[in-house]
Amino acid sequence: MKKLWKFLGSMQFAIGLLVVLALACAGGSFLPQGLRYEEYAALYSERTAGLILALRLDDVFHSWWVLVLTGFLCGNLLLCNLLRLPQLLRRSRQAGDPAHLGAPTVTVGGVQDPDAVLTRLRMPKAVEHTDAEGRTLRIAVKHRAGLWGAWVCHLGILLLILGFVLGQMTKEEYTVYGVPGQVKQIEGTEYALKIRDFQLQREADGFVTQYTTALTLYDLSNEDDVLAQDATASVNHPGSAFGFKLYQNSTGDAAHFTVRRDGETVQEAVLCVGEQISLLNTPLQVQLRAVLADHDKAANGSSVPGYAYQIYIDDSFYGMDVQPEGGTIQDFLPYEVSFSEPQSYTLIQLKRDRFSRLALAGGLITLLGLFLAFYCQTRRVWAIREADGGWTVFGSSPKGGALFAEQVREAANQVQS
Amino acid sequence: MTNLLNLEGIFFYAVICLYFAATVFYFLFVTVKKEALGKAAAAIQILGLVLHTAALILRGIGAGRLPLTNQYEFATSFAWGLCLVSLVFIWRFKFPVIGTFAAPIILLLIGYAAMQSREVKALMPALRSSWLGFHVSTAIIAYGSFGVSAVLGLIFLLRERMKNQGFWDKHIPAREKLDLISYRSVCLGLLFLTFTIITGAIWAEQAWGSYWSWDPKETWSLVTWLIYATYLHLRIRRGWKGRTAAIFAVVGFVCVLFTYVGVNTLLPGLHSYA
Repeated sequence: MKKLWKFLGSMQFAIGLLVVLALACAGGSFLPQGLRYEEYAALYSERTAGLILALRLDDVFHSWWVLVLTGFLCGNLLLCNLLRLPQLLRRSRQAGDPAHLGAPTVTVGGVQDPDAVLTRLRMPKAVEHTDAEGRTLRIAVKHRAGLWGAWVCHLGILLLILGFVLGQMTKEEYTVYGVPGQVKQIEGTEYALKIRDFQLQREADGFVTQYTTALTLYDLSNEDDVLAQDATASVNHPGSAFGFKLYQNSTGDAAHFTVRRDGETVQEAVLCVGEQISLLNTPLQVQLRAVLADHDKAANGSSVPGYAYQIYIDDSFYGMDVQPEGGTIQDFLPYEVSFSEPQSYTLIQLKRDRFSRLALAGGLITLLGLFLAFYCQTRRVWAIREADGGWTVFGSSPKGGALFAEQVREAANQVQS
Repeated sequence: MTNLLNLEGIFFYAVICLYFAATVFYFLFVTVKKEALGKAAAAIQILGLVLHTAALILRGIGAGRLPLTNQYEFATSFAWGLCLVSLVFIWRFKFPVIGTFAAPIILLLIGYAAMQSREVKALMPALRSSWLGFHVSTAIIAYGSFGVSAVLGLIFLLRERMKNQGFWDKHIPAREKLDLISYRSVCLGLLFLTFTIITGAIWAEQAWGSYWSWDPKETWSLVTWLIYATYLHLRIRRGWKGRTAAIFAVVGFVCVLFTYVGVNTLLPGLHSYA
């Protein structure tokens, strides 16, 4: 059992997991995701399509086996950190202990002033000891924290993965679209959202540079005391209300839909492109397909918009056409049906992810760990006074190797000369 | 503004000429084996970098934003990043042969940039974020560092075949040191790639409400990160230093190039602008 735990926390296992995860991600980016069996069969073959679905390669990033691998990676990181913790604490404590100096990576003899070598190497002040043979020993340790780099990095990755997975499992996400003035109930919640205003900022050439929605979120959980919070959302600047983050997702065209009978309005609504509406108590449905800003030209040269629509009877396609601004759809006598007032709708995304901060903290801790591991590498330089009064300088740096040895030699040479 | 962009265009083509000249001089340096040619090549490369920096600044002022938002701008910045990191390593380790291998890659990258449209277009709202600068500039340094590690890997592999030759012994460090310099370059790259991924995630969360959506560029950045993480672990676990590490550094950079060029052309997604 002990062997199993050791293997699960081993670097060997970690390397295997990293390679398999890299291959899974690369494969998932090439294979079209989320298609149906027929679509895969048309792209490849029926046998391949069956295999893709059986192995859940159609949704690699959310497949059970990637989740299992990720679980193993988390377990590996946790075990690795737990198993290494006592050793790291010991090494941290013993970094400046003369009894635990270990083998040096570089040795330079005949040095007269070891402190000058330390200064050149930008090492902290040395602490003096006497070794078992009664010799004077001076030890300087730099970047003890570097010992913890990989450990901190592993902790960060673990928190990042946990934050991401828990966030994916528990997040609440909804989308609402509409035009200013509309109040929309958010399906499956006790919240409603009112779009107070929607503005498109444009450059001189008409290019949209920003869209901003002013909105109010209502908490309807208590009918007697409806709570409301205002927020503003624009691209890159989400708003917040009742713990939700409100994102300005996108925009699109909409138009006013009116039904009149004998000159009196009997039905009206704002339809966004793609939306469908049933005509009073008839089996007829009208769907707005597109708003065409430059459908026609007026006598004065200005653009006249048009509204592309489709008609359905009992959900079966009946026909399609374009209605110019000011015109009507003629197919529904005695009703006079028309589109007018082209406008833009706003699409708002509401999201509550309680673990995104954990993921962010994990990311930042990972960065800190990498920085400690790469740029705060532990270095030890110690000097022993020889019988002739000179000093022998030793240096060790687990990751510095030949480069550190060269630095120590250079520093010693400069001091000597 | 148009004048500034015209000037940027002139500088850009001058930079191509300088990088070409540096490539030729570096090539002569290792074939004729005269030290003066290496110094001249490095001087031309430095001049190229100065002009390149000026070109990027002019474009930034001319466009009224950071010049990091389309294929042309990212390609030229990538070349700039590789040029900068290679010069830093040449200076830090007194190792001009790096330039011999880096200069052709820089030339290829800037050549790729020259094939892209240089037109300055208005930015879509999502790209109007202060995170853009952090995200893309860290990517440039990361890619540049991985480029240098690949160059060092190539030098390591060739060094094996160059035995007992005075010139090479003088200008190329011993294999152990070469391996360590390459490792340092990977460390710098991985640190900055992690920065890139994190800043990208923060930005994506603000712009699209999701900090990770398995967009092909995101996925391939993660693949690159995993490859280099594997490299670092293998160095410790199996002692895969030297030759294997050198091959890994080259393969890793191929992956970086795929993340940059391949993903944009084969797997379009949210990052199709760069």
